[in-house]
Amino acid sequence: MELDNITRPAGQAQPLSDEDKRFLRELVETNRGEHHGRLSYMDIMFELEHHYGNSLPGPVLGEVARLLGTSPAQLNGFVTFYTMLSTEPRGQHVVRVCTSGPCHVTGAPSIVAELKRLLGVELGETTSDGMFALEASSCLGICGVSPALMIDDDAYGNLTPEDLPRILDAKRAGGTQ
Amino acid sequence: MKLFSTQIVVPVDSNSVLQGALEVKHVLEETIGKYNLGSQVSVVETGALGIYDQGVVLAVFPDDVYYGNVMPSDVEEIVTEHLLKGRVVSRLAIDRNLSSRRLVEKETGKSQQKIVLRNAGLIDPQSIDEYIARDGYEALAKALAMQPGEVIQILTDSKLQGRGGAGFPTGLKWGMVAKEQSDEKYIVCNADEGEPGTFKDRLILEGDPHSIVEAMTIAGYATGAHVGIVYVRGEYFMSIARLKKAIKDATEYGLLGKDVLGTGFQFDIEVYRGGGAYVCGEEFALLESIENRRGEPRNKPPFPPQQGLFGKPTVVNNVETFANVPPILLNGSDWFKSFGTPSSAGTKVFSLSGDIVNRGIVEAPLGVTLRELIYDFGGGVKGGKHIGFIQTGGSAGTVLTDKFLDVPLDFASMKTNNVSIGSGVILVASEDVPLLPFLAEVAHFFWHESCGKCTPCREGTLQVKTIMDTLVNRTADPASLQHLGKLLNTLNDTSFCGLGQAAPLAFESALRNFPEVFDQALAESHVPEVCQEEV
Repeated sequence: MELDNITRPAGQAQPLSDEDKRFLRELVETNRGEHHGRLSYMDIMFELEHHYGNSLPGPVLGEVARLLGTSPAQLNGFVTFYTMLSTEPRGQHVVRVCTSGPCHVTGAPSIVAELKRLLGVELGETTSDGMFALEASSCLGICGVSPALMIDDDAYGNLTPEDLPRILDAKRAGGTQ
Repeated sequence: MKLFSTQIVVPVDSNSVLQGALEVKHVLEETIGKYNLGSQVSVVETGALGIYDQGVVLAVFPDDVYYGNVMPSDVEEIVTEHLLKGRVVSRLAIDRNLSSRRLVEKETGKSQQKIVLRNAGLIDPQSIDEYIARDGYEALAKALAMQPGEVIQILTDSKLQGRGGAGFPTGLKWGMVAKEQSDEKYIVCNADEGEPGTFKDRLILEGDPHSIVEAMTIAGYATGAHVGIVYVRGEYFMSIARLKKAIKDATEYGLLGKDVLGTGFQFDIEVYRGGGAYVCGEEFALLESIENRRGEPRNKPPFPPQQGLFGKPTVVNNVETFANVPPILLNGSDWFKSFGTPSSAGTKVFSLSGDIVNRGIVEAPLGVTLRELIYDFGGGVKGGKHIGFIQTGGSAGTVLTDKFLDVPLDFASMKTNNVSIGSGVILVASEDVPLLPFLAEVAHFFWHESCGKCTPCREGTLQVKTIMDTLVNRTADPASLQHLGKLLNTLNDTSFCGLGQAAPLAFESALRNFPEVFDQALAESHVPEVCQEEV
């Protein structure tokens, strides 16, 4: 589906700057040190997403594949397998709303419906102002306070539809609630 | 050294923090300072107490008083009444029986026999000294003084079985790896907790990370491995941070590294993160993911003990399994077998969720019944309602009626009573929750999480989802239940790994236990055109 994503410049078409290249080189070397000579692609991808605004641009992946000594196709296969990673541009904040059993039983369907309404997007889409990406998530492991969602690294539990505007507004304003 | 006469314990696990625990702690410290109690009262951060539906919880020791739903505005009253005057603030006090220790005591007549959660809620999980003060790393020292074979023998005798869902005997697994000749071996801890409704591993990692570090090191010594890897769910940010700190502190104390406790034994532990893929809980998919590939399972045999990570002999155990190891080594296999049932030794950590009064974590001896878990610990169904259905074991588990309330839960209960224990999920839905949309969500889950490697699972989960959706929308084909039955058999018989093989469990058990719900959906189904008109 996204096999040509690596060679197709995603987003900005300009090539990587020297600064980008230096950043990527250091990132890979730091990771190698942390894992006793092995590497964790996942750690590297999370760092990249953090750096490049919640997605993995094609040219960056191409350069990283070269640094990791793997092929762009292999790396693309890796990143497109894992739900938390995205090769498509995503919003500034990723809203992961849990739809699994315990949340479903305690009201997730109404939470999902209200999020869609408030943000004006479907699951898997980003708001037009680029602020929020709305994603359905499998169990987040905080079922003691279901229904729950995470925005970036922050979890929110015991949700009612009425709580959502306040949570989203706080994120929009740059706070954590 | 400073001696405090009173300790106030504040849980700061993910669940508690998002209910406002940090703010309460901050106000508490300020108020204690204001009343000049700083030299007598200490405020200690800890992992979860396993009580989630009581808001922010504080425990006061040695008084053994628990306060629930504590707001920052309540703190002043607790400090002036309880700490200054010694009077319990009864309007905030909660029943500490909610804490699971009680059931173990009731069942065995012994006190302090919480095994897996022995430290959760009692120690500061970020303090290696507090772990050591509670016999931490003593089991490691004891193991290092034994022959590796003796360590494995104790585990084998204890009859400890894997707590991740499959129930494979741990001693046997370690023995298989120990007897392999190889230049390298690996100890992998499966902390990719993804079975919906399971949050016990998170609690262990956040509340007692050193127990995992200690147990993995023991496993390394027993099997001849020098590298341990913990694969943690990507979303478990606090677990990852706590674990990394525990590893760093243990290394500084000489409990990890080139020369563990001066014995010359070398062992290091690294943390790898998951990327949001349920299938990576399958052991080979997990190993593939550590090897920087797509998390797709491998062919078995060979099994991980023969050819695991990087093709080397590998122990893969669940977090809860590891957490059982140090107490077994300290107290012996007979002690461990004194809990549980003849077929299943020890305790199990259950995750109670859904429409239940007290959601949270309960550690109880194997053989405990659903009735005890749901009514004694869980406090029953919310709003005094009846049980609609119960799902045990997770999404890859069984859907039951309340007729199953008295079945003892252990590793044999699937065989004897068709009740799955799985990862210990107890999800309760009240009579108000319709079954079919819930099952459609479960079907959607498996379709989304199928890795796509094998056809039966990739296509089968899609077909199950499609049929469930038509049952929900009342547009089902009259033959759809027969199709569903065949599909489930095919999934179970021919899927490549456990994901596809276990996916049918929820639907098979629901068809068996709630046939009338399916029959009604069929009876009410119309051809789609009619449906559209109705809408």
